[in-house]
Order: sequence, then structure tokens, then C-alpha cells
Amino acid sequence: MRYRAALRRLSAVLPLPLGYACLALATLKLFGPRPGWERVVIIGGVITFATALVLTLVALVRKPPRWASALALDEHHGLFDRVTSALALLESRETQEPLARAAIDDGLSVAKGLNPRKAVPLQIPREFWVSAALLATLGGVVALELRSERVLPDPPSFEPLVLSNDDLELFSEAAKQLGDRSQDPEAAAAVRKFNAFIEDIAARRLDRASAFERLGELEAELAESAELDREARELGLEGLSRELQKSPLSKPAAAALEQKRLADAQQALKQLAERLQDKRRPPSRAELDRLRGAIESASKASSERLSALETRRRELQEEKKSLLNRKKESGKPDAEAAKLEENKRKLERLERDQARAEKAAKELSELDRELAKAAEDLRRQNPDAAEDIRRTAEELSKIEKNELSEQEKRKLLQRLREMKELMRQQGKADSERQRQMRRFGRKARGGQGEEGDQQQGQGRGSGKAGRTTQVEVVPVPRITQRTTPGGSGEAKTEGQAGGDQPGGKGDGAGKSAGKGHDANIAGDPTELKGETQAVSAAAVDTGEGSASAEVIHGAAEGGFVGKPYKDIYVDYQSVAEQSLEHDQIPPGYRFYVRRYFQLIRPRE
Amino acid sequence: MSDTSAEARREVEEFQRQIGTLREEIGKIIVGYREVVDGVLSCMLAGSHALLEGVPGLGKTRLVRTLASAMGLEFNRIQFTPDLMPADIIGTVVLDETPDGKHAFEFRKGPVFANIVLADEINRATPKTQSALLEAMQEHHVTVGRTTHKIQQPYFVLATQNPLEMEGTYPLPEAQLDRFFFKLDVPFPSREELHTILERTTTSSEAEIQPVISREQMLGMQALLRRVPAAHPVRDYAIRVLEATHPNGNGAPASVTRFVRTGASPRGVQAMLLAAKARALFDGRFAASIDDVRASARPALRHRVLLSFEGEAEGVRPDTLIDEILNSLPRAKD
Repeated sequence: MRYRAALRRLSAVLPLPLGYACLALATLKLFGPRPGWERVVIIGGVITFATALVLTLVALVRKPPRWASALALDEHHGLFDRVTSALALLESRETQEPLARAAIDDGLSVAKGLNPRKAVPLQIPREFWVSAALLATLGGVVALELRSERVLPDPPSFEPLVLSNDDLELFSEAAKQLGDRSQDPEAAAAVRKFNAFIEDIAARRLDRASAFERLGELEAELAESAELDREARELGLEGLSRELQKSPLSKPAAAALEQKRLADAQQALKQLAERLQDKRRPPSRAELDRLRGAIESASKASSERLSALETRRRELQEEKKSLLNRKKESGKPDAEAAKLEENKRKLERLERDQARAEKAAKELSELDRELAKAAEDLRRQNPDAAEDIRRTAEELSKIEKNELSEQEKRKLLQRLREMKELMRQQGKADSERQRQMRRFGRKARGGQGEEGDQQQGQGRGSGKAGRTTQVEVVPVPRITQRTTPGGSGEAKTEGQAGGDQPGGKGDGAGKSAGKGHDANIAGDPTELKGETQAVSAAAVDTGEGSASAEVIHGAAEGGFVGKPYKDIYVDYQSVAEQSLEHDQIPPGYRFYVRRYFQLIRPRE
Repeated sequence: MSDTSAEARREVEEFQRQIGTLREEIGKIIVGYREVVDGVLSCMLAGSHALLEGVPGLGKTRLVRTLASAMGLEFNRIQFTPDLMPADIIGTVVLDETPDGKHAFEFRKGPVFANIVLADEINRATPKTQSALLEAMQEHHVTVGRTTHKIQQPYFVLATQNPLEMEGTYPLPEAQLDRFFFKLDVPFPSREELHTILERTTTSSEAEIQPVISREQMLGMQALLRRVPAAHPVRDYAIRVLEATHPNGNGAPASVTRFVRTGASPRGVQAMLLAAKARALFDGRFAASIDDVRASARPALRHRVLLSFEGEAEGVRPDTLIDEILNSLPRAKD
């Protein structure tokens, strides 16, 4: 009876926690987890489940209603409450009544064959189906995977990076110049990449982001390459210098190498070769031995360093492998993590050192070979040793050339940075300003084309070359100046406007500078008491030349085309560059100065 | 089994036999209507009265007349009409000449002075006349002037009313309805029953009813009924059924709360229990059971449950509400 009551109670209260679970889970699936929800949901779930459990337990331990069992027996067996009546009448005072007595006897007589188990079967209550349905719903909610519609932002429209033709021309010309000069394959490859980049921009195949990305990659590659070159060369030369220091004969060359004066080192080696061939003052045996030793160790320095680095790298690789194994065995992700991190850093540093050493070994391989040959010849007292050392000097010249290629890389890097800054600044400028800049670019080339016209306009600014100003010297009365005639007079064919040498004499002026000099070069002292002659010079415009100001003005009006403008531009730009190099100019302003000169550069 | 128990068993068996004989005798005339006959018998055994409700022509009057004939009891029939006066049913005092030639007032008994009174179409009489019957029904005596006249026991009033023709009728007030032990609905006979009715009523042969129970036997049966025990759980169930008929009573279903104006009076539970006892005896049992109470609930309560205006408007039948109560109440008290 109690079990049945507990089962019925369970069926009645089970929908509460199941419904709660369905609701909470569905809410979480629909709206996603929110901060603080998890705790509330768990507390609610615990409360509902605990309530259901407590109510069920109460039903289990609670005493069933009085006569309930007897009534159930009577009902099940169709006894019309005979047993119940008998039991109840036994308890009452009506026991002595004949009919009550008869009812009791009747009840007792039928009680023998009763089956309580069948009378109170443990059957599934009707309410249980609600719980079953909720359980199925809960399963459905658990299995349900909501497909939330997420509105993705529209893909960004492709806006190509636009640089004016003028700027594109500037950078491609610079790249071309560098490419023409470059002997180094790496530098040539960098220039090719840069050219491809310029072409992509010109074809409007790149947007700002990708252009910056490509630019960054190129810059990083070039910077790393140039830096590696420099470090490798310095490393190699440093090792060479250190070993050559050990011999007095090769000390001058070592000193020059230490200070990175390759030309001097080259000269010092040539002198050493001459000394070795000098029959009058040959080096002593001890000197030669020491030189041989120094050259020998210098030739081996690179390979020894390389092998030492390789050994160390292998050691670190082994250490890394062992650390990884230990980490896997311990099963703790934090275990050995610090050591692994340190090992990783060491390996990276070592690999960089190795790359540098390999590069140095490659760059100085010929030099090492020549040195080794020289050392061997010296050991055999072979007279070819001097020749070997001479060839070593020639190898140094090659290294110097390589340094030039490194400079080219740096120049290209500089161009890249300028371009980057230009693009950055262009991003800041509004469209009106960009239009102005494009218009200026066309005009600078002397072009008349409209905006968007790719054809360069025909230049019309052509200053008159060779426009000269003749200076006429006018004698001034009462002021005389005694001039001492020199061996050769210096004639000015091109005077400065206004004349800057009033003492010049126009007559008999030669076309070239004179040779030799007067013995009395200083001349007699000026006799102040003598009659002096005031001389005034007035420039006369002959219409055959033009002043700088006019050239610049003309360029500004008609376009930056023409040789006179180019000459003036080079002068002014070199002064500006010097100022930028040496003066305290804020970095932000340097761009504007350089950009200014980029814009007004002479056009072909 | 003790002697007392055996004696009680014999009494019950005798009761069963007499009831069986009575049923058989009635069955000669009345076709079917087992429920109605048992209901009427229960009322008689309980010493109370019944209200029979049914459309005209169903044999209500005939049933009562047959019952009276089978019991050998004095029977009177009163046809209630609007002009019927109380004196017409209870009797009146008349000036009469004595044998010695003198004149004296004499009480002439009305039709209520019989063992079985059929108050036909009781709702057609005025309330005044209906009330005159009340005293006789409840007190079993009639007071005229300063004289009270007792009515011979057993005394049964069986009233009928037609539920269709309500025009010009005076519905019985609640207090008067409560006086009736049972309100029995007389149903329309089934097809088979109609066949039998036709056979019996449209031929020359007509069965004669013989009295099978004497007045004394009836009084003995009434006494036996009162001695039948009802155990506490059975009484408790009857009380819970009664409580549930009240709109605010314990265990009242929502429909009762909504459609019932007033629940049954304690006479209702008395009627249920007495009828339950009668059913137990009919079946030869020694104690009333919950099933007996459930079977008696409808006729004992249907005229005592007063519907609210909403219930009337909705056409709710009291039987439906009683069924709901019986279905919702557990046999054992929680």
C-alpha cells in the first residue's frame, strides 16, 4: 500500500523536476549561457529534485488511511465491505447486536481466501505517462541542435590601392637603378620582387591591407638579409683579424680588418706579399713560421666555428627530445614547460648563429682557401706563397664589392620604407587632397592630360641652357688697384648674376685654367698709399643663360623637365639630405622633406 | 457461529424471502422498473415517502396501487388539482345526526387516512393544500380543530409529478421536497418491456394481485432494517458524500462549487444510509456497504441538491453532479 502510494506520489511530482529540466535546458539552448545563469539553474534543479524526492519519501513512510487496506481487499474481491464492516464492528460497541455479530462472522468467514497482493497491485499510475512524456521531451531537447542564423558581415569590397603614376614611376626608376647596379643575386631577387610589387600596384591588383602586407614581407626579408650579410661578414672578418694579429707580419692587415677598412687591409696584404718576395730584406724563419701559423688558423677559423655550432645544435636538439619525452611521461602539461621554452630560445639563437656562420663561411670560402694555400706554400717554403697572399688581397676586394651589394639592399630597404610612409600618409589624406596630388604629378611632368589620363603630357618647360651673364668691369675714378699679373689668368665664362669677382679682368681670358704658378704667389703687399681706383661691376643680362631662381620658377610653371633643373635639383637635394642626416630634424618632418623632393624631382 | 448470529441470519433470510415474494407479486402487473420498485420498497421499509417523477402513462399510479394490493394495506388515491382544499385531503368536521336523533359534530377522515396514499400530480395543488399533506407525512397524524387524529402505521405517501407540464403548477418547495425519502425517476420502458406491457394490458386476461405481506410483517421488516449495522467507514463515506454536495464542503468537486446553491440536508445522509441498509438486506447481507451507499446516493440526494442560477441556466442535472462526487471521493478517508 505504501509502495503504491509512493509510486503514485512519485508519478505526481516527477513532472516538476522534469519539466524544470526541459525548460531550463531549452532556455539555455535558445538563448545561450548567460553569466550567473548556470548557478541559478543548478540551484533550481537541486530544489525541484529535492522536493520531489522528499514528497515521495513522505508518501513512502506515511501510514495509509485507516481501513484503506481492508476496503481495498473488499473492493478487489467484491465483498461489499464485509471484511471492513467486520473489523469496524469488532472495534465498536455494536458487537453484541445479533446482526452485527452475524456481520462479523460473515466477514471473518470470507477473510480466509483473500489475497492482499492482488488487491493492492503495484501498477504504473496514469500520471506516470506525463513523466514519461516529459522524459522523452527532455531527451529531445538534449538531442536538439539549434541552428542559429548568424548574419555574417558583407565581405569587404575590394578597393585597390591607388598610387599616382608619378610615384609609381619614381619607385620603379629607383628599383631599376638598383637592379642595374646590383651584382648580388640576392639583391637582384629583392629588386625583382619589388618590381613585381610595383606592377601589382600599378595594375590595381592590391588593396591597402594586402599592399602593406606584401611591403612588410619584403621589408622584413630585405632587412633580415642585409643584417645577416653584415653580421656574417663582420663575423668572418673579425675571426680573420683575430688570427692574423698573431703574426707581426700580418698585423697591419689585421688592424685594418679589425677596423673594417677593407681597402687598407687589401693594401697591407699586398705589401706583405711584396715583403715575402723581397730578396734584400727577407723575413726571418721565425717570422715566417708565425705568419704560417696565423694564416693556417685563420683559414680554419670559419670551419671550426661552424663545426662547433653544429655540435652545440645537435646537443640542444637532443635535450629538446629528452624534455619532450619527460613531459609526455609525466602527463602534466606544465612539467618541463619552462625548460622547453628555454631550450627553444637557445635553439633559435643557435640556428641564427649557425646561419650567420654558414653565410660567413660561404662568403669567405675563397679567402679561406687562398689562405690555406698560402699557409701550405709557406710551410713548404714555396715562393708561390706571396702570390697566394696577393690573391687573398683580391678576394678581399670581392668582399668589398659584396658590401656594396649590401648597401644596395639597404637603399632598396630605404625605398621600401619611403613607399610605406607614402602609403600611410596617403591613407590619411582625403580624396580631394589625393586628386590634388595626382594633378600635381601630371603637371610636374609637364603634362596637360586630364585626371585619369594615363598618357604623360608633353613637357613644355625647357630652360635655356647656357644662358650667361657677362660682367662688365667699370673703372671707378680715384680708386686704383694694383694687380699683379699672374702666370695665367682665370677667366670666367659664366658669371654669376650681379658678379662676385670685381677684380676679374675680361680681356685675354683663356679658355682653360693656367698651368704652374707665379713664384710670388702672394704678390706685393697692397700699397695703401698708392692711388686706388674704385671698380664697380654691373652684370648685364645677355639673354643667353638663366638664373637658378628662373630655372626653378620655370620648372614650377612648366614641369620638372630639363637638364638645368636637374642640376639645381641635385644640388638642393644633396644639401637637404645632409641636413636630414646631420641636423636635428624630427622624424615626422623628414618624410615631408623627402616627399617634397620626390615630388619636385626632375622628370625625363 | 453463535446462536445470535444464526438467529440474525434466519431473520435476514426471511426478509429476503418476503421481499422476493413481494417483488414477484408486483411483477405480475408491473413490467420492469426493478430500480423503481426497489426504491419504493426501500422507502416503505424506511418508513418514509417517495416522490415519483415521470411523464404521464408510465404506470406510476398502477405501481403504487399494485404495491398496496400486494401488501394488503389500505390504499387511497388523491388527484391533486388547483382547487383541491386541505380539508379535501385531511378530512373535515360535519354535523351529523346521532342514532338517538340528536345532532353532533363528527370528524370525517380524508384520503390521507390510509396505509398507502398516492398523491397524484402533487405539484398541481396549491401550496396550502400541499402543506396540509406535510404534517401527515412527517408527523403521521392530522390535527383538525383541537383534535389530533393519528394515522395508522405503516404509512406511506407516494407522490407523483409530471416534469413536462409545468404550466399552472406549484412546484414543491425545498422544505417539502426534503420530506421525501427518495425521488425516483420513472424511466420509459424498453422495447421488450413494452411488448410485455401490451400483452398484459390489451388482452382479456388480467392478473390478480394477492396480498403477500401483512401489515405486521411489514412493521417487522421495518424494525429489522433499523437494526442492520453500518460500520464506521461506511457511515463516514456517506457523510463525506453529503459534505461534497455543498459548494464549500470538503471534497466538493469544482462543478459542485460552480453549479450548486445549497447542498443536501442531513435527511439526505439518513436516507442514503437507510436505503443502503435496505439494499444490504435485499442482498442478504448483514451490514450496509459503501457500494450500497453509492447506489442510494442518486435517489436520496437528487431532490435535495438545489442548483444555482448558473446550474439551472446550463441545464445541469443533479444526477451528473452526484456521479462526479462519487467518482472523485476515495473509499477510504485520506
